[in-house]
Amino acid sequence: MVQNHHRGCHRQDHHGTVGENKEKRPKFFINDHVDILIEILKRLDCRSLCVAASVCRLWCTIARYDSLWENLCFRHVSPPPSSVRSVVLALGGYKRLYMGCVRPVRSRLGRIRKASWARDEVQLSLSLFCVDYYERLGGGGNSNGRLVGESSPSSLRFLCKPVNV
Amino acid sequence: MKRDHQAISGAGGGGCGISSGSKGESSITNKGKLWEEDQDAGDMDELMAVLGYKVRSSDMADVAQKMEQLDMVMGTAQEDGISHLASDRVHYNPSDLSSWVQSMLTELNNPVLPNSDSNSSKTQQKQQIVSNNQSQVYNDDSEYDLRAIPGVFAYPQTKRIKTSTGTDSSSSPPTESSTRPVVLVDSQEAGVRLVHTLMACAEAVQQQNLKLADALVKHIGLLAASQAGAMRKVATYFAEALARRIYGVYPQDSLHPSYTDMLQMYFYETCPYLKFAHFTANQAILEAFATSNRVHVVDFGLNQGMQWPALMQELALRPGGPPVFRLTGIGPHQPDNTDALQQVGCKLAQLAETIGVRFEFRGLMVNSLADLEPKMLDIRPPEVETLAVNSVFELHRLLARPGGIEKVLSSIKTMKPKILTIVEEEANHNSPVFVDRFTEALHYYSSLFDSLEGSGVAPPPSQDLVMSELYLGRQICNVVACEGVERVERHETLAQWRFRMETSGFCPVHLGSNAYKQASMLLALFAGGDEYRVEENDGCLTLGWHTRPLIATSAWQLAAVV
Repeated sequence: MVQNHHRGCHRQDHHGTVGENKEKRPKFFINDHVDILIEILKRLDCRSLCVAASVCRLWCTIARYDSLWENLCFRHVSPPPSSVRSVVLALGGYKRLYMGCVRPVRSRLGRIRKASWARDEVQLSLSLFCVDYYERLGGGGNSNGRLVGESSPSSLRFLCKPVNV
Repeated sequence: MKRDHQAISGAGGGGCGISSGSKGESSITNKGKLWEEDQDAGDMDELMAVLGYKVRSSDMADVAQKMEQLDMVMGTAQEDGISHLASDRVHYNPSDLSSWVQSMLTELNNPVLPNSDSNSSKTQQKQQIVSNNQSQVYNDDSEYDLRAIPGVFAYPQTKRIKTSTGTDSSSSPPTESSTRPVVLVDSQEAGVRLVHTLMACAEAVQQQNLKLADALVKHIGLLAASQAGAMRKVATYFAEALARRIYGVYPQDSLHPSYTDMLQMYFYETCPYLKFAHFTANQAILEAFATSNRVHVVDFGLNQGMQWPALMQELALRPGGPPVFRLTGIGPHQPDNTDALQQVGCKLAQLAETIGVRFEFRGLMVNSLADLEPKMLDIRPPEVETLAVNSVFELHRLLARPGGIEKVLSSIKTMKPKILTIVEEEANHNSPVFVDRFTEALHYYSSLFDSLEGSGVAPPPSQDLVMSELYLGRQICNVVACEGVERVERHETLAQWRFRMETSGFCPVHLGSNAYKQASMLLALFAGGDEYRVEENDGCLTLGWHTRPLIATSAWQLAAVV
């Protein structure tokens, strides 16, 4: 930060001095500072996060941290009670919650969204997420509910289908 | 007149070249030379007169439109449907294009039915063709109020022209009584004809005129094939149900319950009705459970238990922690002695353990809810445990046996629940008059199928859609073909249920704005979301398609005993 400030109000005649300073200071390599990296990635939106995951292995690993996705889910909402985390983690994690439920819900409601609905969107997403988990439970034991050969539970299929909303 | 017939079918397309104002001489020059020119009075279109047709200039637009119609009808009608044209019809003076087209249209709209008593109508039609300048009319039996069917297929609003009434011609099915004659110049008239034929068949069945009903049912099959999409499917299911009623082949209701469960799962996934039911009922139950530490839910129709994960999740995240949750699920006996209820209970228990809710489950198998006794349910006193009773599409079945519903409601009262949630279809399919029931069911299931169609499923139709339609088709079969105790789909309207509940000692609990908001959001997620309507009806929520409410959720509590 300090370096930038200097550079900003710098004059031509000091150029040489700065150049020397640059050579003396160690280079700042973001991958060495994972905590900063996490803080930055935490603030990205979904698409950017997915793009970031393609940069290198470290970024890919970090992008999969569930806590990043937790921020995405609850971004527009006041912090949820702590009990939510244990429930969500048990049901499959925040990334799954976001990709499966929160993202389609938000995008489809985007057009008619009112500011007060943010909390309810998350609530609805959670409920749908829970239903999905319940259906996935059934894969092994319950042979009554689905035809033979049906693989994936599909109570969320209506969210995955491309929709012209 | 075979030559005419060939010329007609061959040049049916060419004839349409005569659209308003354009001159399609090249396509019909052959035809023109076949007929002798008959010079008539003036005021005839000169160009047409050259070809041998006499059309008044003032009639040109009208004739052109009718030609288009004729082309459409012939294009869509099947071979069988127009074979009667090759029979002993006599066309007088075909060079008078206007009346010839009229006669063709009338004939196609009033098909000559085999083995029916339509001889009178035949002669009637012949007489009318002979006399010129008589506007053939088309009966619109508005008592059926087809406009009430929302969606485009049943009664499209495009291109309708009402002209002044002419004389009454024979109505399309002889048993209908004709009312206001109206000329409909519709591009979808085959669909309207289909609905008329369905109604006529229902009337024939009601009057026990089974021969006629049989003929009409076959005709419905033909007409249905010319339609597309939802209308065809609805018509096919209704035709099948009518055929079953006519022949007395009642469908077995003793199909394996897991089959019906499976169909219901597809229905659950394809369209929002069941989800709406579950979410709104859950919201009411949640609000009733707000301050309790021990809660008990009695579910009158457990099926796959899809309603309860969402409730458990909301209980788990309740501020103050989840209560102890006890669920009693009621279901039918399984023919192969498998304990389907227990399997569902296990799944729910697994979920409960995952999200940290203390859970107990009990399954009860009964053949009918009327067999239920409160002591079977292990009800605990209200100070200890809060009770909610939930019934989604189950109560109407009790109306099949006399006394059933009263017994169940009094059982519920002895249980002293804090809240009773009821979701039922919003339709009156329980009228003692068959035709009324049929008409209501036709409107209702047309809307339902239309909404399924509009749920954005791209062709070819997916298995989901087909299975959902099958689920509804079984209901249609039950409403139309069955009678007595076998007819269990005795839907009644919200108003009727309200009356029944209030006279049985319950008073309504208003579903709050939370439920409304959640339901609206849920609907907005579905394709075609803006065609679904959530409405609040005096404390109850209804979900409808366009303007037609289809299901209604209501909540009740025991009226305070003073």
